[in-house]
Amino acid sequence: MSKFIEIKNLSFSYPGDSQNPCVPVLHDINLEIDKGEFVAILGRNGSGKSTLAKLLNLILVPSSGTVSVGGKLLSSDMSEEEIIEVRKCIGMVFQNPDNQLVATVVEEDIAFGPENLGVEPEEIRRRVDQALEIVGMTEFAKHSPHQLSGGQKQRIAIAGIIAIMPECIVFDESTAMLDPHGRKEVMRTIETLNREKGITVITITHNMEEAVCADKVVVIDHGTIVKQGSPKEVFSRPEELWGLGLSVPQVTELFDMLRCLGAELPEGVISEEEGAQLLFELLRS
Amino acid sequence: MAKIELCGVSYVYSSKTPFEKKAVNNIDVAIEEGSITGIIGHTGSGKSTLVQILNGLLEPTSGKVLFNGADMHAKKTKLSDIRFKVGLVFQYPEYQLFEETVESDIAYGPKNMGLDKAEIEKRVHDAAKFCGIEEAILKKSPFELSGGQQRRVAIAGVMAMTPEVLILDEPAAGLDPQGRSDIFGGICEYRRKTGATVIIVSHSMEDIARYCENVLVMSKGEVFDYGSCDKIFERSDELEAIGLDIPQIARLLRRVGEMGVSFDKNIYTVGEAYRSIIPFIKGGGGSAS
Repeated sequence: MSKFIEIKNLSFSYPGDSQNPCVPVLHDINLEIDKGEFVAILGRNGSGKSTLAKLLNLILVPSSGTVSVGGKLLSSDMSEEEIIEVRKCIGMVFQNPDNQLVATVVEEDIAFGPENLGVEPEEIRRRVDQALEIVGMTEFAKHSPHQLSGGQKQRIAIAGIIAIMPECIVFDESTAMLDPHGRKEVMRTIETLNREKGITVITITHNMEEAVCADKVVVIDHGTIVKQGSPKEVFSRPEELWGLGLSVPQVTELFDMLRCLGAELPEGVISEEEGAQLLFELLRS
Repeated sequence: MAKIELCGVSYVYSSKTPFEKKAVNNIDVAIEEGSITGIIGHTGSGKSTLVQILNGLLEPTSGKVLFNGADMHAKKTKLSDIRFKVGLVFQYPEYQLFEETVESDIAYGPKNMGLDKAEIEKRVHDAAKFCGIEEAILKKSPFELSGGQQRRVAIAGVMAMTPEVLILDEPAAGLDPQGRSDIFGGICEYRRKTGATVIIVSHSMEDIARYCENVLVMSKGEVFDYGSCDKIFERSDELEAIGLDIPQIARLLRRVGEMGVSFDKNIYTVGEAYRSIIPFIKGGGGSAS
């Protein structure tokens, strides 16, 4: 069976001009993502994460290699209808909530996507209500977006994508500008979409605690995939992540330090629950 | 001594219109000279209004701002002098880069202060050093640099004015972990070398606990609390109720505490947690109960 997203030997360079040479960004990327999977992509600024995301729905076209989504090979030769199909399948939510809202009323903003796709008015109504419910913003349907907090605006941006009914949503640092509460709200929404609605989630983040929620963590450095595995596997070697300009959750860092001291503790402790239990047993004895 | 003191400061946007909005209300805060203070608060809590009041960009609707003990908005005070002394780095300051080279961008502030050429050059090089900007980069266009490098150039541009108070609004937002610690390292280095007073606005409780001595908590335009990290993070439930949090390491130890192992004191950084656990592992000591 073919995977939902299949990336094979993908390389990408931003085109140069007469004065500047072209800029290579991604080299020989191979990655498979299952339907319904939750994948976190980590990597330092400029490592190529966002470029990779843009190659998934034809905002950018590979320089070499292939990307296929739902068994369909993406290419610049696709007709406009085919490209729209791909973009309907993979939605994106970006960092700054203020740059993603277009209407003056919350429910109109959410309706913007389906309206442009020519969806029937009754169906739009149904989708808007459902999207508002999923992100927990039903009571704000008639509000003006600029009166909302950052986390609320970002949830409206997510609702706008849900209304297009994508199979996969890419979150490109969607929590970076939010306060702790807004961050939690958005993370909870992302988890609901993935676990309950079966939407494939790809999140690009610098926040290691968020990456812990994923099924799979992919680390990119200088345009190549350097690590791939479960959060436990990837975070079990903190020093390797530091070398890549990244870090590990504080819980993981503490357990790594205690292990170095000779304490008998497992590798890759990533959750607070597990950490608290282990620490309790260690300190009680 | 208080470096900056706010006495009963309020600020109202669009005053006397239907859109009137009280952004900060009756703030009394004294920032001690040489201290490093974190400001935390939910979106819309008044943090950004507050920092603009601190460097005189906004004049309070009521109340007084004292800088080195003198009223910042008194008739005889030149506000431009205050702004050279209280440097403010906005959120995403890299959007404000405009010069042809990194060097001249950093030199823009000191040039406007009317300094001579040799002094400007010295300031540029010192500031570049604080921010980890290599000599080779100085001659480049700021627009050729990566986002993280641009951020450092923008911060260096403010440090080059050697402000007595350095205020930074989310200086590490959007940066990778390495970039974050480089930026904070540079800020601490600037403070160590110049003795400046530093104020940092951040949504990262981990960074606040790690780098700041004092924390000012804003909620709905008012001061919720102000004091040492210990004093503030002790109120974890209340912080959560106003949209904030405590560092993950503190949440972990609190859980362990609830299970029945108590620690001596409040712990908010990984280093402190580690040091407090060592005695347990090395056999005996500590205060397990």
